[in-house]
Amino acid sequence: MNHALRRVSLACLAMFLLLLANANYVQGFEANKLADDPGNGRTFALQYQYQRGSIITANNQPIAQSKHIGGVYSYQRYYPSGPTYAPVTGYDTPYRKTGIEGTEDRLLAGTDPRLAVRNLIDLVTGKPRKGATVQLTINSAAQEAAYKALKATGLPGGAVAIDPKTGAILALASYPSFNPNKLATLNGNALNKADQKYLNSPQQPLLNRAINETFPPGSTFKIVTSSTAFSTGKYNPDSRYYAPTNLKLPQTSNELINFDNLPCDDGSNPTGNGTVPLIYAFAVSCNTVYGGLGMHLGGAKLHQQANAFGMNRALRIPLLVSPSNYPPVSAPAFTAYSAIGQYNDTVTPLQEAMFAAAIANHGTLMRPYMVQKVIAPNLTPLVTTQPSVLSQAVSPGVASDVGRMMFDVVNQPYGTAHDIAPDLPGIRVAAKTGTAQTGANNTGLDDAVFTSFAPYGNPDIAVGVVVKGGGLGADASAPVAVQIIKAYLNYLHSSAK
Amino acid sequence: MSAMGATGNGSGTTTGTVTSQPGLAGALALPRGRRGAELIMLAFAIGVVLFAYANVGLGLNGRVPTGLATYGVLFGVLMLGAHLAVRKLAPWADPLLLPLAALLNGLGLVMIYRLQESGRNGNPGNAISTMSASTTTFQLMWSTIGVIAFVAVLLVIREPRTLQRYTYTLGAIGLVLLALPALLPSSISEVPGTGAKIQVAIGGFSIQPEEFAKLALAVFFAGYLVAKRDVLALAGRHVLGIALPRARDMGPVLIAWAASLLVLVFESDIGTSALFFGMFLIMLYVATQRTSWLLIGTSLFLVGAWAASKLVSHVGVRFAIWLHPFTYANVFCGASSVRVPCVPSYQLAQGIYGLGFGGLLGTGLGHGQPYLTPLVQSDFIITAFGEELGLTGLMALLLIYGLIVQRGLRAAVAVRDPFSKLLAGGLAFVVALQVFVIVGGVTQLIPLTGITTPFLSQGGSSLVASWMLIALLMRISDTARRPAPQPIQDEGMTQVVRGI
Repeated sequence: MNHALRRVSLACLAMFLLLLANANYVQGFEANKLADDPGNGRTFALQYQYQRGSIITANNQPIAQSKHIGGVYSYQRYYPSGPTYAPVTGYDTPYRKTGIEGTEDRLLAGTDPRLAVRNLIDLVTGKPRKGATVQLTINSAAQEAAYKALKATGLPGGAVAIDPKTGAILALASYPSFNPNKLATLNGNALNKADQKYLNSPQQPLLNRAINETFPPGSTFKIVTSSTAFSTGKYNPDSRYYAPTNLKLPQTSNELINFDNLPCDDGSNPTGNGTVPLIYAFAVSCNTVYGGLGMHLGGAKLHQQANAFGMNRALRIPLLVSPSNYPPVSAPAFTAYSAIGQYNDTVTPLQEAMFAAAIANHGTLMRPYMVQKVIAPNLTPLVTTQPSVLSQAVSPGVASDVGRMMFDVVNQPYGTAHDIAPDLPGIRVAAKTGTAQTGANNTGLDDAVFTSFAPYGNPDIAVGVVVKGGGLGADASAPVAVQIIKAYLNYLHSSAK
Repeated sequence: MSAMGATGNGSGTTTGTVTSQPGLAGALALPRGRRGAELIMLAFAIGVVLFAYANVGLGLNGRVPTGLATYGVLFGVLMLGAHLAVRKLAPWADPLLLPLAALLNGLGLVMIYRLQESGRNGNPGNAISTMSASTTTFQLMWSTIGVIAFVAVLLVIREPRTLQRYTYTLGAIGLVLLALPALLPSSISEVPGTGAKIQVAIGGFSIQPEEFAKLALAVFFAGYLVAKRDVLALAGRHVLGIALPRARDMGPVLIAWAASLLVLVFESDIGTSALFFGMFLIMLYVATQRTSWLLIGTSLFLVGAWAASKLVSHVGVRFAIWLHPFTYANVFCGASSVRVPCVPSYQLAQGIYGLGFGGLLGTGLGHGQPYLTPLVQSDFIITAFGEELGLTGLMALLLIYGLIVQRGLRAAVAVRDPFSKLLAGGLAFVVALQVFVIVGGVTQLIPLTGITTPFLSQGGSSLVASWMLIALLMRISDTARRPAPQPIQDEGMTQVVRGI
C-alpha cells in the first residue's frame, strides 16, 4: 500500500502546488488588473477613507473635492457646481467612473505608480495617504457661461471652447446635464435610485453631448470645402463660382436648393444662372455654389481635408471623444450633399470648435487637451501637459483666406451671423453658421450649428456649439457662443489688469 | 492475505537497510517522542497567534486589545493542556501535528476577532451583520470543545486497530449523519441564504453533521476496504493493459457514487459530495493499488458533475460564476440597474478583489476591507488572510496545511497495520482535498463549492471534527513510532541475522 500512498502524496503535492501557483497569479500578476475592475468595491471604498485629490479649474476653482465628514467613511466627494461641470468631472460610483474622475482615477486616488515614493514616505511618517490634485484647462467663466447659455435654450446640445494657440479646452458643456452629487452619496439605495433615474431618463443627462454625440455639421462644413478648394491653389475667396438657384445633380432627379429656395445673388447674378465670389457664397451660405464646388473637388479630396481637421479619428482629451465622421463619398450627388454637411458626415461640438481653432491658428490644429497639470499632495507638479500639434489642417495662407470669409459671415450685413455683431461690441468675431436638416425628408427640427473664433486677428478662443432642434444656427447656437466668448474675453481682460 | 505481499516486501526492504548496521540500529532506533520539540513549536505557535491578536487591535484602532491577557492565557492553557494530554496519552506521536493545528486554530480565532471588530466599537469598516459581538467568544468555546474532543479521542482510542471492530456501526452512523439534514425540514437544516441543507440548527445552536460523518465514513471505508481489498484488487480481467474489476465488485463504488450524488441533489452541497467521493476513491486506490478504480471513479464523478450541472440549476450557476466572475452584470446581479441575465458572482468577485488588494505583502491585519466580502468569516476566510497578510501569508497558511497532510501521509506510510494505514491515508488526503476545494474555489482555480476551511472558518462542527481528525492522525503516528516491545536484547540480534 505504501507505493499507492506515495503516489497519493504526490497528488497532494500537485494540488498544493496548483493552489500556490494560482495564488501567485491572482495576487502577484492580476492584482493591478483587478484593482481597475469597475466592480471592485475595495478601491472605491478606499477613496472614502483617504482624501481623494481635488479637480480644479485653470483659475483654481475647485469643481470636485473630498469633504471630511467623519464616521466610518471619512470623506465624501462633493461637486460645488454639479451640473455645470458634470460632463468634465464625470462621477465615480462602484458601477462606473466617468469623466476626469475616470481617466485620472489613479492619480486622484493616489494609487498611481508616480505617487508610489510619496506614499511610501507617508507610510513611514504615518501620514494618511492623499490623492493628487488635477488642474484642468477649463476656465470657470467660460464654462459657467457655456452651461448657462445652453440651459437657456432649453434644448439638448453641447458647447466646446478651445484656446486655438494651445488646444487647451476652455469650456466643455452639455445640456441636459446631471448632478454628480446625487451619485456621490454613501447611501447605497439612494445611489442606485439616482443611477437608475439618470440611466433611464429619456433626456439622457449622462450623455456628454460636447464630445460623445455627433450631429450633421450643416453649412459649417463649408469651411472644409473651402479649405479643400483653396488648398488646390486654383481658388481664392474672390474666385467666382457658378451659383444657380437650383443645382441639378447627376444620376438623380433631386436638385440642390438654397435655404428657403432663395437665389444666390450679390447683385451680380440676377438671373440665378451666373456666378458669385466664393466669399459671398460663404457669407450667405449658398448651398448650390458649395454643392457644385464639392462635386468638382470630389469626395476623396474632401475626405482628406476632413482628416486634416481631425475628423474620422477618436481622440483622448483625456476623455474619449467620439470620432466625427466624413466617410469617403464617391457618387457626385452625395458628394454635393456632403460638401454642405448634409449627407452622412457628422461632427461633435468639439470638432466644430476644432474647425475654427485650426483656421484661427494659421492652419495649425493643436491637439485638444483638458488636463493642464497634476499636482502631488506635496505641491510638486507631477505631470504638466505641453501643447502639441495634432495636424497641419491647412497652410497659413489658406487659413487666412478662410478666416477672412468667416469674418464676413459676422461683419457683412448679408452675413448669416450678422445679428450677433451688436452683442459683442468691440470684439471682432469670425464664424460660420450651420443649419442641419435632420430626419427623413427633413421632417425633424433642424439642428443649429455654430463655429467661431475671436478676436479676429489675434484669436484667444474658438467655440463650437450645436443645439439639437435649435433651428437656424444663427438663432439658437450663435447666442451660446457669444456668451462664452464674451465671458472668456472679459475674464482675460479683468485678469490682465 | 496475498495482497500483503507488496507491503510485506516494502517493509522487508526497510528492515534490510536498517539491519545492515545492526549495532547502530539498536542504539539509535530507540526513538524519541520529541515531545520537547513539540512544546517549543507549540510555544512558538502561541506566540505568533498572540502577536497577530495584538496586531489586529493596533491595526484597527492603534490600541492593543484589552482582552489580550485573558485571551492569551486561555488559548495558551488550552494548547498546553492538549500538549500534556499528548505527553500522557500518545507520547510517540508526531510532534508537528499539534503545533500546526494550534497555529491554524489560533490564526482562525484572530481573523474571526478581526472581522467581528470591523465597524464595531468605533473601528473602521462595516459591521458584518452575520457576526455578533460574541462570535470570537463562541469560537474560542468551540476551540475548547475541539481540544477536549481531541483529548477524548486520544483517551478512548488507545489502539487505532480497535476502530476496525466498529466498521459497520460507524458506517451506519456516518450515513445517518450525512442524510440527516436532507431528511429534516429546511427550517432546521438550511443555511440561511445559501440553499444548502447541511446543518441541524435548533434554537440558534447549529451543527453540521457532515463534518463528523466525514470521520465516521473514513473509518468505515478503511474497515470495509481492508476486508474486501483482495477481491477488489485481484479479480477481473485486463483490457488494453488496464486491470478492470468484475462487474459485481463495482457495487461499492456505485453505492458511494450514488450516495455522493444524493448528497449533491438533496442537500445542494457539491463540496461535501466531492469530498466524500474523493476520499472513498483514494482509499480504494490505496487499498487495491489498482489505477482502474481511479479511472472508473473519476469518470463516474465527471459524468455525475456534468449531469448535475445540467439538471441542478444551483450547480450550473456555480459553473457560470466560475467562468465569468468579474463581468459587471454578474458582480451586481440582482441590483435593479442590472437587467440582463446574470449569475450572482458578487461574493467570489469581492473575495478575489480582496486577494488582489492584498497583493504580495498584504494590507496588514486590520487595514484591509475583508468585510466587503459577504460571509467572509466562513467559506471565504482564506481571502481575508490573503488580503491582510498578502500572498506571503496565504502561502504560509497553505504550507501549514501541506505539512499537516505530509505528516499524516507519513504516519500512513510508517504504520504497519493496513487498517490504520488506510485510515491515515484517507484522513490526510481528505484534508488536502478539502483545502484544495475551498481555497481553489475562492481563488477561482476551480468552481466554488462552499465547504469550510479546516480550523480557520467560523463554525464549531468543522473545528471539533478537525481536532478529532488530528487526534486520529496523532494516534496512528503514535502507533507507528512507538518502539516495539523488546523483551530480550539477544532476540533482537537473532532477528537481525534472520533479516540478512
